[in-house]
Amino acid sequence: MTVTVKLFGMLRAQLAADSDLKVQLDQGCRVEDLIAAIQLMNPDVGDLLLKRKILVSVNHEMAHGDTELTSSDEIALLPPFSGGSDTPGGMPSDVYR
Amino acid sequence: MSTVDTDAMLVRVQREDFSIDEEINRVRNRSTRIGGIATFLGTARDRSEDRDVSRITFEYYEGMAQKKLREIRDRALQDFDVIEVLILHRYGDIDIGENIVLIVVGAMHRADAFKACKWCIDELKQITPIWKCEQTPDGQVWVEQHP
Repeated sequence: MTVTVKLFGMLRAQLAADSDLKVQLDQGCRVEDLIAAIQLMNPDVGDLLLKRKILVSVNHEMAHGDTELTSSDEIALLPPFSGGSDTPGGMPSDVYR
Repeated sequence: MSTVDTDAMLVRVQREDFSIDEEINRVRNRSTRIGGIATFLGTARDRSEDRDVSRITFEYYEGMAQKKLREIRDRALQDFDVIEVLILHRYGDIDIGENIVLIVVGAMHRADAFKACKWCIDELKQITPIWKCEQTPDGQVWVEQHP
Protein backbone atom coordinates (compact mmCIF):
# COMPACT_ATOMS: atom_id res chain seq x y z
CA MET A 1 0.00 0.00 0.00
CA THR A 2 1.01 3.61 -0.47
CA VAL A 3 0.72 6.00 2.41
CA THR A 4 0.84 9.76 2.08
CA VAL A 5 2.88 11.57 4.72
CA LYS A 6 2.43 15.28 5.31
CA LEU A 7 5.58 17.32 5.84
CA PHE A 8 5.96 20.62 7.62
CA GLY A 9 8.54 23.31 8.20
CA MET A 10 12.17 22.37 7.79
CA LEU A 11 11.32 18.77 6.83
CA ARG A 12 10.19 19.74 3.35
CA ALA A 13 13.66 21.07 2.62
CA GLN A 14 15.38 18.14 4.30
CA LEU A 15 13.41 15.58 2.33
CA ALA A 16 13.39 17.68 -0.84
CA ALA A 17 9.65 17.35 -1.07
CA ASP A 18 6.82 19.85 -1.54
CA SER A 19 4.22 19.02 1.03
CA ASP A 20 3.51 15.30 0.86
CA LEU A 21 5.72 12.24 0.75
CA LYS A 22 4.49 8.99 -0.81
CA VAL A 23 5.86 5.90 0.89
CA GLN A 24 5.30 2.32 -0.22
CA LEU A 25 4.65 -0.06 2.68
CA ASP A 26 3.35 -3.58 3.13
CA GLN A 27 -0.21 -4.08 4.34
CA GLY A 28 -0.41 -4.08 8.13
CA CYS A 29 2.73 -2.02 8.55
CA ARG A 30 3.28 0.04 11.65
CA VAL A 31 4.76 3.43 12.32
CA GLU A 32 8.11 1.80 13.05
CA ASP A 33 8.11 0.38 9.50
CA LEU A 34 7.38 3.83 8.11
CA ILE A 35 10.32 5.21 10.07
CA ALA A 36 12.56 2.46 8.70
CA ALA A 37 11.47 3.31 5.15
CA ILE A 38 12.16 7.00 5.70
CA GLN A 39 15.56 6.17 7.17
CA LEU A 40 16.48 4.53 3.89
CA MET A 41 15.42 7.68 2.05
CA ASN A 42 17.14 10.09 4.43
CA PRO A 43 19.22 8.69 7.32
CA ASP A 44 19.40 12.05 9.11
CA VAL A 45 15.62 12.41 9.25
CA GLY A 46 15.32 8.71 10.12
CA ASP A 47 17.64 9.16 13.09
CA LEU A 48 15.64 12.13 14.34
CA LEU A 49 12.49 10.03 14.09
CA LEU A 50 14.10 7.22 16.07
CA LYS A 51 15.19 9.70 18.73
CA ARG A 52 11.67 11.17 18.71
CA LYS A 53 13.01 14.62 17.87
CA ILE A 54 10.59 14.41 14.98
CA LEU A 55 7.20 12.96 15.93
CA VAL A 56 4.68 11.04 13.86
CA SER A 57 0.99 11.81 14.04
CA VAL A 58 -1.75 9.57 12.73
CA ASN A 59 -5.20 11.07 12.26
CA HIS A 60 -4.23 14.14 14.29
CA GLU A 61 -2.97 12.20 17.31
CA MET A 62 0.60 11.41 18.28
CA ALA A 63 1.50 7.89 17.23
CA HIS A 64 3.85 5.29 18.66
CA GLY A 65 6.05 2.78 16.92
CA ASP A 66 3.47 0.04 17.18
CA THR A 67 0.61 2.10 15.76
CA GLU A 68 -0.73 0.21 12.74
CA LEU A 69 -1.16 2.13 9.50
CA THR A 70 -3.69 1.96 6.70
CA SER A 71 -3.65 3.72 3.36
CA SER A 72 -6.53 5.95 4.46
CA ASP A 73 -4.76 7.27 7.57
CA GLU A 74 -3.72 10.90 7.68
CA ILE A 75 -0.05 10.67 8.60
CA ALA A 76 2.30 13.56 9.31
CA LEU A 77 5.90 14.08 10.37
CA LEU A 78 6.05 16.84 12.95
CA PRO A 79 9.34 18.68 13.48
CA PRO A 80 9.73 20.43 16.84
CA PHE A 81 7.02 23.03 17.31
CA SER A 82 8.09 26.64 17.36
CA GLY A 83 6.99 26.95 20.93
CA GLY A 84 9.54 24.34 21.87
CA SER A 85 9.17 20.92 23.37
CA ASP A 86 12.23 21.20 25.61
CA THR A 87 13.77 18.16 24.02
CA PRO A 88 17.49 18.60 24.67
CA GLY A 89 20.18 17.90 22.14
CA GLY A 90 17.93 17.02 19.26
CA MET A 91 17.57 18.47 15.84
CA PRO A 92 19.90 21.27 14.80
CA SER A 93 18.16 24.39 15.98
CA ASP A 94 18.18 26.01 12.56
CA VAL A 95 17.99 24.84 9.00
CA TYR A 96 18.83 27.36 6.33
CA ARG A 97 17.40 26.98 2.89
CA MET B 1 -25.37 33.20 17.05
CA SER B 2 -25.66 29.54 18.00
CA THR B 3 -23.58 27.96 20.76
CA VAL B 4 -21.66 25.97 18.17
CA ASP B 5 -20.82 29.11 16.22
CA THR B 6 -19.76 30.89 19.39
CA ASP B 7 -17.49 28.04 20.48
CA ALA B 8 -15.89 28.01 17.04
CA MET B 9 -15.12 31.70 17.40
CA LEU B 10 -13.41 31.05 20.72
CA VAL B 11 -10.72 28.83 19.15
CA ARG B 12 -9.37 30.04 15.82
CA VAL B 13 -6.35 29.82 13.56
CA GLN B 14 -6.56 32.57 10.98
CA ARG B 15 -4.42 34.54 8.56
CA GLU B 16 -5.91 37.96 9.20
CA ASP B 17 -5.16 40.25 12.11
CA PHE B 18 -7.63 40.55 14.97
CA SER B 19 -9.05 43.27 17.18
CA ILE B 20 -8.02 42.77 20.79
CA ASP B 21 -11.04 44.77 21.98
CA GLU B 22 -13.43 42.62 19.97
CA GLU B 23 -11.89 39.41 21.27
CA ILE B 24 -11.97 40.61 24.89
CA ASN B 25 -15.62 41.57 24.45
CA ARG B 26 -16.32 38.12 23.00
CA VAL B 27 -15.21 36.67 26.34
CA ARG B 28 -16.72 39.45 28.47
CA ASN B 29 -20.14 38.93 26.87
CA ARG B 30 -20.22 35.24 27.74
CA SER B 31 -21.17 35.85 31.37
CA THR B 32 -22.00 38.66 33.76
CA ARG B 33 -20.22 36.62 36.45
CA ILE B 34 -16.88 37.55 34.95
CA GLY B 35 -15.03 39.94 37.22
CA GLY B 36 -11.53 39.72 35.79
CA ILE B 37 -10.10 39.14 32.34
CA ALA B 38 -6.45 38.22 31.81
CA THR B 39 -4.86 38.40 28.37
CA PHE B 40 -1.64 37.30 26.74
CA LEU B 41 -0.71 38.87 23.41
CA GLY B 42 2.27 37.54 21.49
CA THR B 43 3.76 39.92 18.92
CA ALA B 44 6.47 39.66 16.28
CA ARG B 45 9.83 40.99 17.45
CA ASP B 46 12.77 42.01 15.27
CA ARG B 47 15.49 40.13 17.14
CA SER B 48 15.94 36.43 17.78
CA GLU B 49 18.98 34.38 18.86
CA ASP B 50 21.30 37.36 18.19
CA ARG B 51 19.94 37.75 14.66
CA ASP B 52 17.91 40.54 13.13
CA VAL B 53 14.50 39.40 12.00
CA SER B 54 12.61 41.28 9.33
CA ARG B 55 9.51 39.11 9.06
CA ILE B 56 8.04 35.91 10.47
CA THR B 57 6.02 33.26 8.70
CA PHE B 58 3.89 30.81 10.63
CA GLU B 59 2.85 27.44 9.25
CA TYR B 60 0.36 25.17 10.97
CA TYR B 61 -1.13 21.73 10.58
CA GLU B 62 -4.72 22.33 9.49
CA GLY B 63 -7.10 20.27 11.59
CA MET B 64 -4.63 19.05 14.18
CA ALA B 65 -3.72 22.56 15.33
CA GLN B 66 -7.36 23.48 15.87
CA LYS B 67 -7.95 20.18 17.64
CA LYS B 68 -5.08 20.82 20.06
CA LEU B 69 -6.26 24.37 20.74
CA ARG B 70 -9.77 23.09 21.48
CA GLU B 71 -8.27 20.55 23.87
CA ILE B 72 -6.34 23.32 25.64
CA ARG B 73 -9.48 25.43 26.00
CA ASP B 74 -11.50 22.46 27.28
CA ARG B 75 -8.82 21.51 29.82
CA ALA B 76 -8.48 25.09 31.03
CA LEU B 77 -12.23 25.33 31.56
CA GLN B 78 -12.16 22.03 33.41
CA ASP B 79 -9.03 22.44 35.53
CA PHE B 80 -9.17 26.12 36.48
CA ASP B 81 -11.89 28.17 38.14
CA VAL B 82 -12.54 30.23 35.03
CA ILE B 83 -15.64 31.06 33.03
CA GLU B 84 -14.45 31.46 29.46
CA VAL B 85 -11.28 31.00 27.42
CA LEU B 86 -10.46 32.31 23.94
CA ILE B 87 -7.40 31.16 21.99
CA LEU B 88 -6.46 32.71 18.67
CA HIS B 89 -3.33 32.18 16.56
CA ARG B 90 -2.41 33.71 13.21
CA TYR B 91 -0.57 32.01 10.36
CA GLY B 92 1.12 33.23 7.20
CA ASP B 93 3.44 36.22 6.88
CA ILE B 94 3.53 38.51 9.88
CA ASP B 95 5.43 41.79 9.94
CA ILE B 96 7.45 42.98 12.90
CA GLY B 97 5.26 44.39 15.64
CA GLU B 98 2.11 42.65 14.43
CA ASN B 99 -0.10 40.42 16.54
CA ILE B 100 0.60 36.68 16.50
CA VAL B 101 -1.31 34.96 19.27
CA LEU B 102 -3.96 35.99 21.77
CA ILE B 103 -5.21 34.25 24.90
CA VAL B 104 -8.16 35.78 26.76
CA VAL B 105 -9.41 34.23 30.00
CA GLY B 106 -12.44 35.45 31.94
CA ALA B 107 -12.97 34.43 35.55
CA MET B 108 -14.74 35.65 38.65
CA HIS B 109 -11.38 36.57 40.18
CA ARG B 110 -8.08 37.72 38.74
CA ALA B 111 -5.84 35.06 40.30
CA ASP B 112 -7.63 32.25 38.48
CA ALA B 113 -7.66 34.22 35.23
CA PHE B 114 -3.89 34.87 35.40
CA LYS B 115 -3.06 31.25 36.23
CA ALA B 116 -5.20 29.82 33.44
CA CYS B 117 -3.92 32.35 30.92
CA LYS B 118 -0.29 31.43 31.63
CA TRP B 119 -1.07 27.73 31.48
CA CYS B 120 -2.84 28.12 28.13
CA ILE B 121 0.02 29.89 26.36
CA ASP B 122 2.61 27.52 27.84
CA GLU B 123 0.57 24.51 26.74
CA LEU B 124 -0.06 26.00 23.30
CA LYS B 125 3.67 26.25 22.73
CA GLN B 126 4.20 22.66 23.82
CA ILE B 127 1.51 20.71 21.99
CA THR B 128 0.19 22.75 19.07
CA PRO B 129 1.65 21.94 15.63
CA ILE B 130 2.63 25.45 14.61
CA TRP B 131 6.02 26.28 13.11
CA LYS B 132 7.80 29.60 12.86
CA CYS B 133 10.14 30.65 10.08
CA GLU B 134 12.11 33.84 10.62
CA GLN B 135 13.45 35.95 7.77
CA THR B 136 17.00 36.99 8.72
CA PRO B 137 19.98 38.52 6.88
CA ASP B 138 21.33 34.95 6.51
CA GLY B 139 18.14 33.62 4.99
CA GLN B 140 15.09 31.84 6.33
CA VAL B 141 15.44 30.08 9.66
CA TRP B 142 12.99 27.53 10.96
CA VAL B 143 12.84 28.05 14.69
CA GLU B 144 12.89 24.93 16.80
CA GLN B 145 12.00 26.39 20.12
CA HIS B 146 11.43 29.62 21.90
CA PRO B 147 10.87 30.47 25.53
